[in-house]
Amino acid sequence: MYKAVVIGGSAGSFQVITKILSSLPKDFPLPVLLSLHRLKHVRSGFVEALSIKSKIPIVEPYDKETIKPGRGYLAPSNYHMYVELNKRIALSTEEPVNHSRPSIDLTFETAAQAYRDKIIGIILSGANRDGAHGLKKLKQLGGTAIVQDPNECQVRTMTEASLKLTSVDHIFTTQQIINFLLKLK
Amino acid sequence: MNKYELGIVDTRNIIKTLQDVYNYDFKNYALTFFKRRVEKVIQKYALKDADGFIKKIELEKEFFELFLKEICVDTTEMFRDPALWRILNDDMLTKLVNSTSNFKIWFPEVSTGEELFSISIILRKLNLLDKVSFIVSSVSEINLENIKNGYFDPKKIETNDVNFKRIYSESNLSDFYSFDGEKAQWDTSLIKNTKFIKQNIIFDDYPKGVRLILFRNHMIYYNQILQERFIKILYNCLIPAGHLIIGNNEKIEYWNSDKDYTLVNKSESIYKKKLS
Repeated sequence: MYKAVVIGGSAGSFQVITKILSSLPKDFPLPVLLSLHRLKHVRSGFVEALSIKSKIPIVEPYDKETIKPGRGYLAPSNYHMYVELNKRIALSTEEPVNHSRPSIDLTFETAAQAYRDKIIGIILSGANRDGAHGLKKLKQLGGTAIVQDPNECQVRTMTEASLKLTSVDHIFTTQQIINFLLKLK
Repeated sequence: MNKYELGIVDTRNIIKTLQDVYNYDFKNYALTFFKRRVEKVIQKYALKDADGFIKKIELEKEFFELFLKEICVDTTEMFRDPALWRILNDDMLTKLVNSTSNFKIWFPEVSTGEELFSISIILRKLNLLDKVSFIVSSVSEINLENIKNGYFDPKKIETNDVNFKRIYSESNLSDFYSFDGEKAQWDTSLIKNTKFIKQNIIFDDYPKGVRLILFRNHMIYYNQILQERFIKILYNCLIPAGHLIIGNNEKIEYWNSDKDYTLVNKSESIYKKKLS
């Protein structure tokens, strides 16, 4: 059975994330790791905005916080968010990757190493190529790779970059992503 | 992009080599972090694999020093998190520094020194710099040398200038550094009251009577064992009612820690040592 979901998104992904979070039940059985590009000087507001419609609690985790099911973990602004092998969050101010901190690639890679074949990785709308390598790694380690249908994306660069590198398990619309996650219950 | 990937066994062997040859104990660094840093060094110096790394580091002391520099994560930028520096400027420093004749500020682990220069600039603008002494420690001799000389990466100038304007809209950061088109350098008179200490991972010797410690975003690279050990040492160095500032998403949390520290500002992670 799956143990975690990791989602990466950038430009055009906010509404998709909000829709997914608002559809998940309060007792959703997995943790949801969110690595989303955001303004580095705006520290507050984002987690609150995501929380408005979400039934699961969304937090910007503290360093070394234990990952628990039924919670959303949003990478804090200006930090990378990693998963340690003991399933704790680790934060980092190491150099940006592809101009991004948080880097979706790094969250996906380390989450994949921690959860191996027990993880679902989802890449959403975005205007750069971040996430493509991370999703590839996740798939190589046995995880399930999902990409939002580029035709539905506000900006399709990120999903197309992922599809180019990885033969994914599913190309889904937002509604199909939601249906897939709800079946995990 | 084929990244070299270090296995867990190789990582452990490297940790053992560093311990055996140089007596530096990295086993309580966060494992994924340590592994990633070594991978980066292996790639940067074209060492092929863990064995290549081990051979080189066993033979070359200079390479070990370079490695110590690489293990330290760049502080990223001046005035990272403007809200904190505004609190220091507006509320904390004037009151605290004026309460004593010798206000000691300690930076237990510096990499590129941005926090040291940020606070020294604030203190100069408040006309308090002469009343303060700094203690700066680092595992990396190379980093300490760069800080002493005030060198910093010119690529950071733009971000630094923008951050500075968020706090001091009426003045320019360029009053405090020089840039000749190649080399960027802080005005080193900002840090003339500074003692530099090269240290091992855990200090051999640490300062006493410290009134303020800035230790932001360093413990994130340690595991919980090393985090707790650090926090306890810092506690012993602070005077009662001294302050400790850690990173926004770091927390002091060990058994009975609320007997030692009061959290005085949650969003900026400012703690105060309790009067015992």
